[in-house]
Amino acid sequence: MLELLVILIPLCPLLACLAITVLGPSLKENSHWLTVLGNAGAFTCALVALIGVATNGFPEGSQTIPLYQWMSIPGSSNTMALDITIALHIDSMSAIMLTMLTFVATLVAIYASSYMHGDPGYARFFACVSLFTFSMIMLVLSANFLQLFMFWEAVGLCSYLLIGFWYEKPSASAAGMKAFLVNRVGDFGFAIGIFLLWRTFGSVDYVDTIFNPAALASVAAKYPGLLETICLCLFTGAIGKSAQFPLHVWLPDAMEGPTPVSALIHAATMVTAGVYMVARCTNLYMLAPHAQLVVSIIGGLTALIAALIGLTQTDLKRVLAYSTVSQLGYMFLGLGTGTFLGIGGAMFHLVTHAFFKALLFLGAGSVMHAMGGVIDMRQFGGLRKLMPKTYATFLVGSLALAGLFPLSGFWSKDTILASVRMAAHPEAHKADAHPATTDGHDAHGKPAESGHGAADHGKAGHGDAHAAVASVDRTKVKLFGIAATTWYEILFWAGSFTAFLTAFYTFRAVFMTFHGEERIPEEAGHHAHESPSAMTTPLIILALGAAFLGLALGHMSAIFNGTGFFDGFLSKTIPGTAGHHDADWFVIGLSTVAAIAGIGLAWMMYAERSGVPAAIAQAVPPLYRLSLNKFYFDELYYIFLVVPVVCLAQLSRFIDWIGVDGLVGFISRIPGAIAKLARPIQNGLVQFYALSMMLATAMLLWALLVRPGL
Amino acid sequence: MVCDMNFSELLQRVVQDTVGTNPFGDLGRVWQGQQPTLSDGSLLMFLPELIVVGTILALLFVRLFDLDKVFSGQSVALLGSTVALLVAVVQFLALKNFDGAASDAVHKTMFTGLLVYDAFGVFFKVFLLLFLQLVVYLTRLTGLPDREDAPDFYTLLFGSTLGMLLMISSNNLLMVFLGIEMTSVPSYAMVGFLKGRRTSSEAAFKYVVYGAGAAGVMLYGISLLAGLLGTTNFPEMAVRLNMVIGTHPLKMDATLLTLLLSIVMILVGFAFKLSIFPFHFWGPDAFEGASTEVAGFLSVASKGAAFALLLRVLLALVGPTTEQSGLMVPVYFYLGIAISVLAAVTATFGNLAAYSQNNIKRMLAYSTIAHAGYMLMAVGAMLVLLNATKHVPDAQVRWDLATRAVEGLLFYLWVYMLMNLGAFAVAAFIRNELFSEDITDFGGLWTQAPVLTFAMACCMFSLIGMPPFGGFTGKFMVFSSLFQAGHYHWAMWGVLAIAGLNTVFSLFYYVRVLKFMFIAPAKDDARRVKVPLTSAAGSYVFALAVLVLWTGMWGAKYLSATAHDVASVLFP
Repeated sequence: MLELLVILIPLCPLLACLAITVLGPSLKENSHWLTVLGNAGAFTCALVALIGVATNGFPEGSQTIPLYQWMSIPGSSNTMALDITIALHIDSMSAIMLTMLTFVATLVAIYASSYMHGDPGYARFFACVSLFTFSMIMLVLSANFLQLFMFWEAVGLCSYLLIGFWYEKPSASAAGMKAFLVNRVGDFGFAIGIFLLWRTFGSVDYVDTIFNPAALASVAAKYPGLLETICLCLFTGAIGKSAQFPLHVWLPDAMEGPTPVSALIHAATMVTAGVYMVARCTNLYMLAPHAQLVVSIIGGLTALIAALIGLTQTDLKRVLAYSTVSQLGYMFLGLGTGTFLGIGGAMFHLVTHAFFKALLFLGAGSVMHAMGGVIDMRQFGGLRKLMPKTYATFLVGSLALAGLFPLSGFWSKDTILASVRMAAHPEAHKADAHPATTDGHDAHGKPAESGHGAADHGKAGHGDAHAAVASVDRTKVKLFGIAATTWYEILFWAGSFTAFLTAFYTFRAVFMTFHGEERIPEEAGHHAHESPSAMTTPLIILALGAAFLGLALGHMSAIFNGTGFFDGFLSKTIPGTAGHHDADWFVIGLSTVAAIAGIGLAWMMYAERSGVPAAIAQAVPPLYRLSLNKFYFDELYYIFLVVPVVCLAQLSRFIDWIGVDGLVGFISRIPGAIAKLARPIQNGLVQFYALSMMLATAMLLWALLVRPGL
Repeated sequence: MVCDMNFSELLQRVVQDTVGTNPFGDLGRVWQGQQPTLSDGSLLMFLPELIVVGTILALLFVRLFDLDKVFSGQSVALLGSTVALLVAVVQFLALKNFDGAASDAVHKTMFTGLLVYDAFGVFFKVFLLLFLQLVVYLTRLTGLPDREDAPDFYTLLFGSTLGMLLMISSNNLLMVFLGIEMTSVPSYAMVGFLKGRRTSSEAAFKYVVYGAGAAGVMLYGISLLAGLLGTTNFPEMAVRLNMVIGTHPLKMDATLLTLLLSIVMILVGFAFKLSIFPFHFWGPDAFEGASTEVAGFLSVASKGAAFALLLRVLLALVGPTTEQSGLMVPVYFYLGIAISVLAAVTATFGNLAAYSQNNIKRMLAYSTIAHAGYMLMAVGAMLVLLNATKHVPDAQVRWDLATRAVEGLLFYLWVYMLMNLGAFAVAAFIRNELFSEDITDFGGLWTQAPVLTFAMACCMFSLIGMPPFGGFTGKFMVFSSLFQAGHYHWAMWGVLAIAGLNTVFSLFYYVRVLKFMFIAPAKDDARRVKVPLTSAAGSYVFALAVLVLWTGMWGAKYLSATAHDVASVLFP
């Protein structure tokens, strides 16, 4: 029964997509019903599956449901086995992702039904959204890397189609192309990683690779560097898909797509595929401490850079886009710490972020809708009276993003920062790495009074995953001659500073948009009013999630049974996350101060239009321009990548023109030439046919007589 | 010995061989899906053919007594082919279920040893009768023969099929010739069936003359062989052959020369039927002159039957065990290579010639030649694998490898039937709407008749050999046999490389058709094509396209397992 339900999850949106494709021309503005129904159906099934996992409806806690095997070639002594199968793997991690994904997708579809009203490509839009939902569900449910890669590309395709949805706009089609091309760079590494996995393990199935600790351990013992290489290759894919430095440049441009798409694909779901993939491969990454450190460094660096760029952007959606990049950086920062606190925190941040970022994007879309398509914050202001619902929900989202207690962002971001600090001071958290000393803890992992070393911060561990961690000595890991702990220390402070920046740029946007004197651009026309309820209702629902999700599922819920609901649930897939974590009051205090300081500074500078920002910009012009021009990444890429590539392309074109075209032209003339030669043969004269028959018979006879060497 | 028997005893034996001791009891057993007992007569095993014969008679009567007002020729033909197909299917299931695939009991002979009844033959019976059924239905949809001509046309069609049914069951050189001629003569008439058209008559005439020439050469080869061996019976040929050759090592003398000449001459007959370069000349002319439906029929059915017969003849020469063919092994090994090289040349020629064709029928005619080349490669690979005694001493291993080669051929033929018929059917439906067979006139069909275009795309991609269509799997199986054979002689790898290149070549002209159908705009003065999915024509081609896809994605497992069982019947 449950299996059937799991199959239904991807099936619903797929059917919706097919139905819209076929019936689209006649459905027109009713197309959204199919998408909404498909997504809602998928959400219902996903929710039941989630409950099924939680109540141990699947005997082993997870289940792989094979759907279709295209080919299976057994390996032999000198060939690798190849098995191409489509299967669905459901466990707690995929259930969380699915529920979140289908929930947001349903709300976005409802929102879009109003937002896209009157667009000539209405049916096409919803067909693409359904296709995306299907592909993303299949990505999440993948049971092997090949399928993962396939749907990884499929969501990329959908993203491309939707970014370039208004393809008659040159900037939109260019942005689509950019996203597609930049992602190719990442996917190249990803594909190599999968090939390496296949070569190493002889299979791309999860059960043979990342779910098989014994195989992982034996490979790690035999070839120490190989797993690191695989991890880095896979992470390259994540860098592209999740828009991390240095491949983050495509995401801000992707805002050319319709805003619901930005909310669904480029904030809540697709861009988190990289995070999901790395978390999925936890067992693998745990054996590759260097790769983990790289993940953290890239994540931290991205978080900081994106936040700095976000400071000066004037396009509301772009501010949010950079904030997405920055928050994704946080997630990788947590994933790379090599602590289960960090992994659980990253996954939790993924979920909370999906809610408040989707909310913010949809809010921005609501503003854009009312302002007649204008999204430049300099052109409007003081909208809080005009759009009260949008304002209130946007404010909730911003507070969550800023990480203010008790909103959801606080809990997840705080966990990540605490995990980084834990990684920076492993000696203070020794019990984490040595779960064998459980004699000092009671069953719920509450710290024992006996004081077992530094067990104050200890947590009860269970499971072999801990043993795997323990087998890797993280204190000796170095990168560029700097110890890992030092790196994590730097990253912790960078992350905390980013928290301050986040609060600042978020509320800069809030104040510029909703506070001050009311200003409405001319383009708004008669649109300048609160959006219809089809748009505000999803906002309110998301705002509720953004407000209370952290409180309900985060560590606060640990008071009931010792482990937070979320961590407890996730521990069905990653056992280590179930440990109890004491609150790190230092981190809590620091991040709260940072958030309040950021909001306060933004209030001072932007609540009323003042000259302060301009003055600062004039005071440090280089820094200002650096941020405004996005650290010149696009320009750098243009000079160092695009220009050489274009030169190379021109050269290739020249060679192509002279050499290859000549050759191809020559080859293409061969059939014609042969045909010309053959034309007299096929001359319609039966006599000649008979002659050739006789000659050929003679030739055949001759061949037989000569060749056996008689 | 016959001479010791008196006439009535002989007659008694013949009658019992034909009718059996308890014909009706056995009929009941077969109908219940059980294996016929050994006592049963030939007529029972011959039932599908008899039904075809009965249908021909019925068609003649319909014509004679002016009954076509009541029973149209088409319905009679449809009924006859359906019943025959059902009986053949029952026969096949009975054979498959109740016999170990390779047990001796399956090799039963009919009519005093002239025909053989085994899973291989019945598999092809099902193949041919299913195809006949599909073609009859297609002609019904396209309305090729009008009501008046229908009985004539279907008489020819069924007559030709009857010949093919004899070909695939042949167990005797005489039946080989008889079967081929019975197949050919009605085909000549069918090619010329469009009476008013000069090209049609000309094509038929050329076909007749060329076919007669080839038949003559083949008959000469058969008579040489029969004279040399003193038998025309397949099971005895290999033993006799070794007796005749006699000496070891092989020495080039008059006997061997005559033997080789006879083998080559018989092969020429096959090369004509299979349109192997340079015996293919009749193909493009005949296909262009004939109607699309007839061309589709000839391109698949006569090839399938000819391949089945070719396998039977070759395996009769090679003999079931190495001891029997001992001396001739190197000759057969090189014969395998020669056939493969010929196949490679044929595939290359077919693909290159198809390149510049603008008439869809002519293009498909050359494409047919190319596919005959691919399939012939499997035959060559089989011979090489079977006779690689130097490299693989274990006979069982060689038989296994050869079985795989035959399995690939059977799979390929099956998919080829679906995809080629699909392509011809789409071409026929388009011709009915547009009155044109020029590819350049196919513009804008995607918007007007998406079903036709979709079906054409499936068939074309399958003909190219793209995954996940059935054509890919078939090609893959044939190519892997070639690869295996390459371990024993480098030339087979050369053939494989050429075959791979050919696949690339073929891409251009197949996709060109799709380019016009999908991208090019419709011509201003062109009629609008209306073939919706709900129409009979639309669902017909759609079903074929889905089958092509199905064989690649899901059916491959079952089809290849069946083909494997069937192929293993041929080897001990």
